[in-house]
Amino acid sequence: MINSKAEALGIIFPNSYDSLVPDLVSERLMASIPFASRYRMCDFMLSSMAQSGIDNISVIVRKNYHSLLDHLGTGREWDLVRKNGGLNIVPPFAQKQVKMFEGRVEALESIRGFLKKQQEKYVILSDANIAMNFDFTELLDAHIKSGADVTMMYRKQEIPESLKKLGRDKMELYYSFGMNGDRVSKIYINPGEDGEMNFSLNIYVVERERLIKMVDEGYLHGCTYFVRDILDKQIDSLDVRGYCYDGYAACIFDTKSYFEENLKLLQEENLNALFSGNQIHTKIRDDNPTRYINGSCVKNVMVADGCVIEGEVENSVLFRGVHVGKGAKVKNCVLMQDTIVQQNASVEYVITDKNVTITEGRSLTGNDSYQVYVAKGQLV
Amino acid sequence: MAKELVAMLLAGGQGSRLYALTQKLAKPAVPFGGKYRIIDFPLSNCVNSGIDTVGILTQYQPLVLNEYIGNGQPWDLDRLYGGVHVLPPYQKASGSDWYKGTANAIYQNIAFIERYDPQYVIILSGDQICKQDYSDFLEFHKSKGAEFSVAVMEVPWEEASRFGLMVADENDKITEFQEKPKEPKSNLASMGIYIFNWDILKKYLVEDEADPNSENDFGNNIIPNLLRDNRDMYAYHFNGYWKDVGTIPSLWEANMEVLDPEHSGINLFDENWKIYSRNSGMTGHRVAENAIVEDSMITDGCNIKGTVKHSILFAGVTVEEGAVVEDAVIMGHSTIKAGAVVTHCIVAEHAVIGEHAVVGAKPEGDGVGEVATIASNVTIGANAKIGPDAMVYEDVKEGGEQ
Repeated sequence: MINSKAEALGIIFPNSYDSLVPDLVSERLMASIPFASRYRMCDFMLSSMAQSGIDNISVIVRKNYHSLLDHLGTGREWDLVRKNGGLNIVPPFAQKQVKMFEGRVEALESIRGFLKKQQEKYVILSDANIAMNFDFTELLDAHIKSGADVTMMYRKQEIPESLKKLGRDKMELYYSFGMNGDRVSKIYINPGEDGEMNFSLNIYVVERERLIKMVDEGYLHGCTYFVRDILDKQIDSLDVRGYCYDGYAACIFDTKSYFEENLKLLQEENLNALFSGNQIHTKIRDDNPTRYINGSCVKNVMVADGCVIEGEVENSVLFRGVHVGKGAKVKNCVLMQDTIVQQNASVEYVITDKNVTITEGRSLTGNDSYQVYVAKGQLV
Repeated sequence: MAKELVAMLLAGGQGSRLYALTQKLAKPAVPFGGKYRIIDFPLSNCVNSGIDTVGILTQYQPLVLNEYIGNGQPWDLDRLYGGVHVLPPYQKASGSDWYKGTANAIYQNIAFIERYDPQYVIILSGDQICKQDYSDFLEFHKSKGAEFSVAVMEVPWEEASRFGLMVADENDKITEFQEKPKEPKSNLASMGIYIFNWDILKKYLVEDEADPNSENDFGNNIIPNLLRDNRDMYAYHFNGYWKDVGTIPSLWEANMEVLDPEHSGINLFDENWKIYSRNSGMTGHRVAENAIVEDSMITDGCNIKGTVKHSILFAGVTVEEGAVVEDAVIMGHSTIKAGAVVTHCIVAEHAVIGEHAVVGAKPEGDGVGEVATIASNVTIGANAKIGPDAMVYEDVKEGGEQ
């Protein structure tokens, strides 16, 4: 057979780090948070995988997944409609498991039967809180070439402050690696130190049969988390390698980083870094082009289709269908789908969720260190 | 299961008066309104009217059109039974033929229509910008007990002689048909949209084909034959926005009218009557710090650093620093380089306007006047000058004039 697809299947965990952004996920999950004017977070991982030839992708959802199901549909937009493979959304299997799964070990155990039946030799696992545009064949090739048991992606960067804080408060796990050449010699769990580290992106590749065996053993021994409970315990006996990613990545760790990562895309070099590789696909809404009406004034903005701009907009990201009325002022904002800023209203350092209306003449102001978040459907 | 109504969309026209724009694509595939192609209008009308079976008759340069239609999914026309079908001329055991005329194109696809065993067939034109509810038209056809109905628009009397005219009585029954007459007896212009009872249409198509002197055209042959036989023919009055974008100036003007929906009547912002299209999938457009955007429509993927006034920019257009775009239609993925001035013109897809080049000019006085046109994939060299009446098919060298 002509080798047109990658020798790996993908597994995405769309609920990872939900607890870091309680506002944004109150009616959705991490993977379906709107990002970059017309996408959802999971679009980046799905598009990257699909265009790297991975056309068998499972999304193991945990809770709050209505919006994700609506967004993904059959997976057509990402070219993931296949008789064999394609997009596979796995909800929790309520009768089998009394409690909701916590970590990747339990989640993977719940799809053991599925994993057993697949043809692909390797499995790539990932979260959905990172927007990146990556050719996964590079990771896969590196893994195959090295003959490692597990290859984990990391990025040289400081640990985000919010992650350190939430790691302490909410027991969300994050990792950094001690490297010896390209081997991971030590895994640091929730490191609190300052300075650049080999920060884990929680993306790793492992042979499918091997993964099943590891998960089986781990499950029997009451393991929950794949990295903490399996890899870290066996780091000396396993051949675990690191793959350093030095491309663009927008990671969402809290509401502030969500805001900042959106606004960072107003700089052309960042926009190009994220979008010049594979095309990032998303659900189509069939909006008309955006209309600028006489009297509008815009500076340094990213605006999706379907907007009507009559007022002033500066340093902001506008999602599809936003309406900025006459005399309204929008500055340093992220306005999600169908937000309406009525006449002479003014918003600064504000994040509005979907379908928010800022009524005539009202003003709402946050500042650069704390942005005001307005929940879905609210009328201000 | 029989379908009540099947739509046949005539999309084989060359659109020769669009010159540079239709060198490599059929007129229905010509881009329009920022993110659409002309054919999106009749196709979206079909879906919005509840028609789920559409045959698209293609002949001239079908490549772009075929790829664009694909399986019909963007219009929800990917159906197990029915859906959209592209119908090019094909070879038969008894020989093969191009579509000789509009009626012949339907005649050659009688077998396609018979598969759905419809009561009615609606004939649509793939080269008009119009939002129309065909189900309302069908209601009219049924309520009149008609065998044939034609959608008509009232046009100003002084322009009437440019059209095919229907003369109708107070019950809308058609008594006479005048094709571009010197002395018009009516100002009801045919929009080229017909509903037939299928048995009647089939009978007349077969008879027409047997007539060696026929041009196999609806306007010239089928309609006069129906009249001759005193068939029940009715004129359906349509009074929405309708534009035949057959010429460069009319195409430009229709695009400009999109910018002013409050006055022109062509509203693309209608949630209840969406126009569907195949989307570019590009990221939101970007307007830089020093850019100026006024009274314009901008589509996903654009990158604007210069000045854009009263213009329509399709997906992925770049306007560099200091460039000025005014009263212009810039189609997908074209680049206007730094300092270029682009005015009152149409720039087709993937074109490059070089630095400080000047394209087009505002006409003197009112009216549309001349509209400079740059064909797709053409590069205009730096400092080149393209006059307001130019039709540019090929690259223009640096400093060149045309």
